[in-house]
Amino acid sequence: MTRYLVKRLGQSLLAIFLTVSTVFVLVRLAPGDPAKAYAGPFATTEQLDEVRRQFGLDRPLLEQYWVFLKGLVHGDLGTSFSFQAPAINVVMDRLPYTLTLAVSAILVTTVVAVPLGVWMARRADTRRELGANVATIAGQSMPEFWTGTVLLTIFAVLIPVLPASSFATWGGLVLPTITIAIMQIALISRLLRREMVTNFAAPYLTVARSRGVRESLLTWRYAMRNASVPVVTALGTRFAAMLNGVVVVEVVFAWPGVGSLVVRALETRDYPLIVATVLITSVLAVLVQLLVDLCYPLLDPRVRLGKAAA
Amino acid sequence: MTPHPYPAGGTLSRRSLLKIIAAVGGVSALGISAGCATPTGLPGPGTLNLALNRSLVSLDNKLNQFDAAVTVQRAVRQALTRLTPDLKLDMVLAERFELTQPNAWTVRLREGIRYSDNSPVEIADIATALEMYRDTKGGFLATFFPEWPTVVKIDDRTFRFETKAPLPILDYLMANILITPAKDNKPEELQGGVGSGPYVVTQADRGTGNYLLDASPNYWGAKPNLSRVQVRFLPEESTRVVSLRSGEVDVIDSISPDAVEQLRGLPGVTIETRPGTRLTHLFYNFRKPKDHPLSDPKVREALSYAINGSALIDDILQGSVVQATGVVPPDVAGAAKVGAFSYDPDKAKSMLSTLGVRDLDMRIIWESGEFASDTQVLEAVYEMLRAVGVRPALQQFQPGGDISTWRQGKAGDWDLLANGYGSPTGLAVTMMQGMYAGTEEKEKTRDTYHGYIFPAITRQIVAASSETDDARRTVLLEKVQRDIWETWPAMWAFAPKAVVARRNRVGGLNLGANNSYDITAVRLEA
Repeated sequence: MTRYLVKRLGQSLLAIFLTVSTVFVLVRLAPGDPAKAYAGPFATTEQLDEVRRQFGLDRPLLEQYWVFLKGLVHGDLGTSFSFQAPAINVVMDRLPYTLTLAVSAILVTTVVAVPLGVWMARRADTRRELGANVATIAGQSMPEFWTGTVLLTIFAVLIPVLPASSFATWGGLVLPTITIAIMQIALISRLLRREMVTNFAAPYLTVARSRGVRESLLTWRYAMRNASVPVVTALGTRFAAMLNGVVVVEVVFAWPGVGSLVVRALETRDYPLIVATVLITSVLAVLVQLLVDLCYPLLDPRVRLGKAAA
Repeated sequence: MTPHPYPAGGTLSRRSLLKIIAAVGGVSALGISAGCATPTGLPGPGTLNLALNRSLVSLDNKLNQFDAAVTVQRAVRQALTRLTPDLKLDMVLAERFELTQPNAWTVRLREGIRYSDNSPVEIADIATALEMYRDTKGGFLATFFPEWPTVVKIDDRTFRFETKAPLPILDYLMANILITPAKDNKPEELQGGVGSGPYVVTQADRGTGNYLLDASPNYWGAKPNLSRVQVRFLPEESTRVVSLRSGEVDVIDSISPDAVEQLRGLPGVTIETRPGTRLTHLFYNFRKPKDHPLSDPKVREALSYAINGSALIDDILQGSVVQATGVVPPDVAGAAKVGAFSYDPDKAKSMLSTLGVRDLDMRIIWESGEFASDTQVLEAVYEMLRAVGVRPALQQFQPGGDISTWRQGKAGDWDLLANGYGSPTGLAVTMMQGMYAGTEEKEKTRDTYHGYIFPAITRQIVAASSETDDARRTVLLEKVQRDIWETWPAMWAFAPKAVVARRNRVGGLNLGANNSYDITAVRLEA
């Protein structure tokens, strides 16, 4: 277990380092000039040169990279051009908002999608399931910007019971959460349904049933346990993706998370801020994936971490 | 349908599912009701809630002066003077600001002016502020100050601004220099610190762009009507509109014509507009070789007859702009009505034919979002040009991309650029200095306005800029604007109107041409 953990952490660190280094180079190769974004469209060449000197952008790429690596070792990712503050602090200011939204969305998704998926599986291919099937297909098909706009129009304008934007009150969390959850519920419940239906049809369940095992145990202990590994993987992946910022939802609801921050950083070519965002969200995503991996042996005792299947 | 091999009968019956969903719904409803202690985030009765389209980042303006920020910045920090809504000059920290010699202005500070920490505003603060603006790398004001004045103290409240050459617009320029205690000022955008304005910042989150301003107990002037102002950053226009409609915010700015149409006529919402200080134009590339058709002003004039400005304004821009009648926006101080764009495609074709111009290729470039409905306008221009035999091509750039390099002629050739130029001073002459006073020296570093270099015009602008006699300056300015018009620098031009939308409970909002308003005059009605 310890060896597995050390190995995974080493792999994760390498993956994060490569990701951040790639982003460091790519943003500098992309069109656009942060000095122009900073100094405005009509700054003179002399002013732009001065700004580039100030940001260290006049140095060769390798030298910039070396400075970046030295800073990285000390936890310094540079100063955000547009915020004129340590880039890491700017991202950390926004992170709680993204975490709140992601945790809220994944909780609602889990609480609704799991019973719904099981219910659909138990009634697979029946008339009763048809309605749920249509609803989940619709939920999966509706783009978040559309869902968000419709929810905003209904609950913030026509029946103004919820805030339209930002996170001034806890009520502000409701509409963004529902917007994200609708699609995730559809995805996860359909995945769970498929896994459960496969397990319901498996010989081991027939044997268990013939031995008189109760239906509740068959569903929740036998079938559910086997179906849970891919579902937990999917939930972990979705959660990790949310930590990178749910850009569309953040923009629609003016949610001050890292998604809208990175959009702004890209627009202004704020290199330190882009790299800091990528670094922090990558670390979080890797941690979530690691936690998911560690859950596998708990869910399925046949899984042995770090060992190939026999 | 095939019956399921394991019919329902386990624990998860439909009833169980409904129970679970009901429980989840109950918990959510509880959460919502708890979360909505102030039900929809609606502003309190004494709080003005503003939504800006740009994040303030700071309450300083050394780097850039975005229209949206002026209102809030001036609520916290003040200058010696300020622009009134109709672009006249008003005294703020200065009691008197007079041109006493051609090269010197005498200024007397108001008695009893102090910062929010109760320390007095001193002459040293003004001298330091000028130095800090001068030394800020990439500061926006550098291009407006032909030279930076020196401050000579006369007594505790009186001082002189001295310059080598006359600077007759210094009183207007000083409306952009925000005064901060000398010990706290730095040659950079200040992130904190105190100001002398009617409000103090009590909460600031630069990450989200949300600020809370409370009335300053130490304010030296008349107490503002509102005790609290909440400033929020809502970059998406649709979100700003929904927030206004729901009553969550009281005032929104930077609204497109489509959104204005959507809001107009809604109960509880009023649209305020005023002619603006920005000029948006389809500007020619003046870096063309001498034998290129576009180097001939007659060709440039002919092309302008192809543009149906009225149709663009009425059908696409929905009346949100006014067509230019000169080379600067019609409402800035010193603007002269020196020409008119007219639509006459037959004349365009005939002139082009007479001039021997056939199948002229034109590359039109612009940055996405440079002005409202930009793409639709330029697609219409494309068709209008095709109708007179021109072969246009459109090239759009994403914000933050390479357009600046293109504009300087360093990335590729182009013929027409759609872009805007603002006037934070509210003066025609500063716009002309920026756009039309190009020199060969500036062109060496590509710092002229798209290669526009007409030495005779530059000389006239310089002369007008340093003319201390108002009447003579007016004459000079009118003459040079007429001469610029004769060069046909733009195919078409318009001035977007400043627009804000407000809830009806907001009173006393007097929108200025520079898209800002005096927040101390704003009041909330029941």
